[in-house]
Amino acid sequence: MDKQQIRDAYELYWLENGTRPISVFTFCKKLDISEPDFYNEYSSFEAIEKDIWLYYFNKTVDQIQNDETYKRYTVREKLLTFYFVWVQTLKEHRSYILLHKKSLINYGVMQPKPDVLENFRKAFYEYVRNLIKEGYSTHEIKERKYISDKYVHGFWVQALFVLRYWLTDTSEKFEMTDAAIEKAVNLSFKLIIENTLDSLVDFGKFLFTKK
Amino acid sequence: MKEQSKIPTSKIERAGRFVSTGFKVGTNYLKHYTRKLVDPEIDKEDLHQENAEDIYETLSNLKGSALKVAQMLSMDRGMLPKAYSERFAMSQYSAPPLSGPLVINTFIKTLGKTPAQLFDKFEISAANAASIGQVHHAWKDGKKLAIKIQYPGVANSVRTDLRIVKPFAMRLVGMSKVDMDKYFDEIETRLLEETDYTLEFRRSVEVSDLCAYIPNLVFPKYYPELSSEKIITMDWLEGKHLKEFLEDRPSQEVRNKIGQALWDFYQFQVHQLKKVHADPHPGNFLMRNDGTVGVFDFGCIKEIPEDFYVNYFKLTEPEILKNDEERKQIYLNLEMIHPGDTPKEVAFFSQLFQKMIDLTTLPFTKKTFDFGNDAYFEEIYSYMEYISNLKEIRDSKNARGSRHSLYINRTYFGLYSLLNDLKANIITDKNRILDLTGG
Repeated sequence: MDKQQIRDAYELYWLENGTRPISVFTFCKKLDISEPDFYNEYSSFEAIEKDIWLYYFNKTVDQIQNDETYKRYTVREKLLTFYFVWVQTLKEHRSYILLHKKSLINYGVMQPKPDVLENFRKAFYEYVRNLIKEGYSTHEIKERKYISDKYVHGFWVQALFVLRYWLTDTSEKFEMTDAAIEKAVNLSFKLIIENTLDSLVDFGKFLFTKK
Repeated sequence: MKEQSKIPTSKIERAGRFVSTGFKVGTNYLKHYTRKLVDPEIDKEDLHQENAEDIYETLSNLKGSALKVAQMLSMDRGMLPKAYSERFAMSQYSAPPLSGPLVINTFIKTLGKTPAQLFDKFEISAANAASIGQVHHAWKDGKKLAIKIQYPGVANSVRTDLRIVKPFAMRLVGMSKVDMDKYFDEIETRLLEETDYTLEFRRSVEVSDLCAYIPNLVFPKYYPELSSEKIITMDWLEGKHLKEFLEDRPSQEVRNKIGQALWDFYQFQVHQLKKVHADPHPGNFLMRNDGTVGVFDFGCIKEIPEDFYVNYFKLTEPEILKNDEERKQIYLNLEMIHPGDTPKEVAFFSQLFQKMIDLTTLPFTKKTFDFGNDAYFEEIYSYMEYISNLKEIRDSKNARGSRHSLYINRTYFGLYSLLNDLKANIITDKNRILDLTGG
């Protein structure tokens, strides 16, 4: 049995029972596989849960990176596309995700570390880092001392924002999430392209040195 | 076109925009009066110009229904100082577009396919903006198509927008809160209908079929299999918007032809269909040099209630106007006067509105009418300005005029100003429509 099958079975278990299996033993019994088989793929249920989120991410990226239009997009449009497709992917698993809503929402904005998202976060950082590099070369994103390193983190916070918005969205076809994505991404690019941020920093420096 | 970087959504954010406009307008007044102190000759038009620019900027940033209200305001040109209306008229043409990925996302979500799968060629950047959506070009089987896509979340923001726009509208138009409430309710109903593309699609097909026989009108074909609740696909119509069209100096004959087609179109709808394309702003018409005009955008259809229709058009019949009792009853039915009014009020408002009606319905009473006659329009506008500045009107506790008259008046004003810009001289005879329908 491969990872994909175990993940699917695990999601299904949650959907039917609303909770984790009592033990790996009972889970394996239900799947009719041996415990060693299970441990060959995953070390724990936590590992499956982390991998599920990584899987959503990878599926999204695979889908968009093969798209001809996507390749021609600007960085901003690429990120927009990522979010739109990501949210589409998540939709197929919405029931499973909603069962974990509490733990996903209760994290503060400044502490973006729901454990279960850890693997996804790493992959997302990697993806966004590449986008940012591309943005530098196309002059879509301005490179700034000290601050540039924080861009990645900023986009991660944005991704969490989108996720939370979508979790609580009750609009038809989640159209409000679409609007939220559009606005959030446009705002972030406004900040990192134009001089707004520079002026702000400059002003801050001024206030600081004056004293 | 520059893409808008951000649309303010939350109520607070939107309100913030308006606050800053209010602030700017206030400053403009200050500037104006300071300048006036120095130079007493200075014209008030300057001030209106500056205010209009600031308010327009704010409204166009808000998009959606705020833009719609800007359009409404720009419609009733006479109610606004010239500078406001010209600036607002621009909102009829362009608003910044939304991103390519969102367009594609809308296709996938509502039609299950990407534009690339559905069309031979699809232009990802918008050709122009409608107030609650934008229009793209596409090609399929050698045909050029126009595709209207609605902004996500538009319906949700209609109510919020209107609540915020209301105080501004009150100030611009100089209407009391009571009046505004009644009319805003009507506007809200129409706006919510406009966000319903399924309804719009159905109406577009229906009305364009019924009007197809009118000479020189051109309607696009609509494609149900390429349309959804967020997307409407139709044939691309060639032609120019009024302003650009006039820049080519079309001949009087061509302008008359187009004017006649528009007049017939509206008369037929009002008198035969009893429902009317109530959005006659220049952006919805494409004019060509052969004297034909393309009509689209049936998002805003006003159905005319029978009793309103009967009363409203009775006022154009000279026979009835001679009978004072009957006239008074009609004014009552149309809510121009109220049962609680004093005889003095009745007399005052009756003569006020009758003069207005006499003026605006003048073309109906003639066999032909020259809409190029600017003196006629000056008279209407100045009379409207006179009315809206009357103390009695401003202080009136009662709303005057039925809610239905809002869109009907808007329709006729829109039509008249189109015809005026065209300087069209046309047949306005009552029997014209009967002749056309062969009955």
